[in-house]
Amino acid sequence: MAKKRKQAYKQAPWRRQLRSVGMSLMPVIALAVVVSIYLIISAEAAAAGLEIMEMHYEEEDILRIIANHRTELAWKTSYTTMKERAEEAGYEAASEETVHFMTIPGYQGQNTALLAVMPENENKLGPIVNEYYQQSLWDWLYSTFLTTSSTSGASQ
Amino acid sequence: MKKSAFPRLTLIGTVLASSSLLIILQMVHIQNSSKHQELSEQADEDYSYAIENYSPERGNIYDRWGRLMAGNEDVYEVGVMLEYVTHPAIIAQTLEGINDLSYDQIYDVAAQTYDAENSIYAVITDFLPSGVIDVLSDIKADYEEENPYGSDEDLPSLRGIIWSSHLKRSYPENSLASNVLGFYSYRDRQEGLGYYGVEEYYDDLLAGNPMDTFMPRNPYLLEGLPEVPEGASLVLTIDREIQAMVENKLDEAIKEYEAESGTVIVMDPKSGEILAMATQPRVNLNQYWEYEDEFKDKTPFNRAVSETYEPGSVFKVLTMAAAFDAGVVDEETEYYDSGRFEYGGSTILNWDRRGHGEQTMQGCMQKSLNVCLAWVATELGKEDFYKYMQAFGIGQRTSIDLGGEEIWPLSVPGDSDWYPVQLATNSFGQGVAITPIQLATAISAVANEGKMMKPHVLKAIIQDGKQYNTTPQVLGVPIKAETAETMSDMLVKSLENESSLALVPGYSIAGKTGTAEIPVEGEYSIDLTNASFVGWGPAEDPQFLVYVWIEKPGISPWGSVVAAPLFSDIVKDLVVYLDIPPEDDQLNLVAKEG
Repeated sequence: MAKKRKQAYKQAPWRRQLRSVGMSLMPVIALAVVVSIYLIISAEAAAAGLEIMEMHYEEEDILRIIANHRTELAWKTSYTTMKERAEEAGYEAASEETVHFMTIPGYQGQNTALLAVMPENENKLGPIVNEYYQQSLWDWLYSTFLTTSSTSGASQ
Repeated sequence: MKKSAFPRLTLIGTVLASSSLLIILQMVHIQNSSKHQELSEQADEDYSYAIENYSPERGNIYDRWGRLMAGNEDVYEVGVMLEYVTHPAIIAQTLEGINDLSYDQIYDVAAQTYDAENSIYAVITDFLPSGVIDVLSDIKADYEEENPYGSDEDLPSLRGIIWSSHLKRSYPENSLASNVLGFYSYRDRQEGLGYYGVEEYYDDLLAGNPMDTFMPRNPYLLEGLPEVPEGASLVLTIDREIQAMVENKLDEAIKEYEAESGTVIVMDPKSGEILAMATQPRVNLNQYWEYEDEFKDKTPFNRAVSETYEPGSVFKVLTMAAAFDAGVVDEETEYYDSGRFEYGGSTILNWDRRGHGEQTMQGCMQKSLNVCLAWVATELGKEDFYKYMQAFGIGQRTSIDLGGEEIWPLSVPGDSDWYPVQLATNSFGQGVAITPIQLATAISAVANEGKMMKPHVLKAIIQDGKQYNTTPQVLGVPIKAETAETMSDMLVKSLENESSLALVPGYSIAGKTGTAEIPVEGEYSIDLTNASFVGWGPAEDPQFLVYVWIEKPGISPWGSVVAAPLFSDIVKDLVVYLDIPPEDDQLNLVAKEG
């Protein structure tokens, strides 16, 4: 009777076999998942690398185009061209006899070229990204709670 | 059915496991093979990185207001990949005439035999503008449509032609300020250099640092690329409009006075900034290779800094300033000019070979009396005279930041080539040689309260996105401020008393003419002269100093006739460009402000 009861609750042999096969395949599946993730990440890294290379060449092209446009503009606004255009438009050079001087309050005269930021002004621009977006969670906790509590503790 | 699944699954599992094991074993075997290390190193060496030669963009050159004087423009090199050329005759027909190339020249290049080791690519031409490439691209596309990839050998094809872009130096103002800018030999793409002027002096800064960069071929290694800094850009003190005005007026004057050449320097005596520097000849910098046709017989590229000459009477300003500063003479000192002065075994004569009687120092300068100035120099004494001349920088480089500055050494007592008579002749600018920039710099001390500023053309450097402005430097203080003021007053009165052609109505101008005879076969000739004028204004608060030198004028030898009017012409426009109101207007403006 006892033997029969035990038999009644026992798993079917084919189920036990499938379970053992499944258990043995688990590490293989896990390995396959890890390898897949590794491959995906590697592929993305390679794609990013190629993108960097493409952007590098694109940057070179853009810099060359900018230089070309800058020079093209200079040709179009060269002294000779501007003089011709001014004469065609009916302007003539002012002579010292025809010029009248007047005081313009606050006008300091034309400033010479400032084509890039001055070194001493570099820090005056301030950070581009708001400092809230640069804080880590720890920074925020520290600045919000720990600093406050220590400060309040000190004041007490 | 269920019972039979076990053996089959076992079999599949065994096969898969065995295969995997074999693959792993093979991988381990390959990895540990004796050849592996060697092959791996070779692969790394040969294929992991490509070395790219990177030449940064050459820095731009701007005038003081930021107008581009030298930049870079996009051009194309056209060549053929010999392996793919199928119809060299079609290539030659298509490109014939471009950059003056003949059919045969192009054909010879395109028909070369492909050799994987030695002959893969051949250059046909270079420096083509983008417009030509656009047309060429359309033609090539038409051929490609008719005969894709040149697969049909019976149909014409432009297969094999390729082009690549690069930058070349460009000078939008052509010859304007060419003597100051110099040029970059862009046609030599591998070893181009800056020659003369700013391009030569600041070549290292402009060029940046060409470098070989390792470009990984393995995309995994491409985390970032090395940043190659571009060449620094320069902002000059030159004002394009003033430069153009001065060049135009100088050209007209040289033509009108039938002179051999001429030079004009406009500077700010308070800072030493050069606002304009014009001379002849000039060259279109975009065709710099033709400069040898213009500058024949050792003609200097920029006479203002590279040509020494005897300055003549403009030098008297320095002699008189030295004597006043040393206290040897003052405004009350009088001298009787007999027209002759014996010194050092020689006789000094005036320019008109006449005596002018009793003269104050003012009269001596106004009439430009050699005899009087020779006497002043001897009163000063040779030690003090040469000490002052050295303090004025005579015989020394000004260190102006332009390529090719020359000097003529100043002979002083004790030198083997110095004779006593030179004290007398040097006093009125004979037997001493200087460049225009040296004289302008020396005399700027008189215009600037005794302080001599270092002449310079660089106003700022732009590097790594920042602009670094230069600071004016004091070159020396040869005379006291009071002496400078006294000399300025004296030279203002001199011009007014003689109604000089250099005067500009409404403005107080201090200045001095000079006419230096040029020695021909050991004898000074009045027919060949260096006519000059140096002046500054407004005398009370000098904003500019203009030095004019007309070389060998044909219609008149005198500085007062040819150089002084050119000075006046230039200053009349200069005061407009520099916003300097006439003195009466200044008083009115001050009164209104008050």
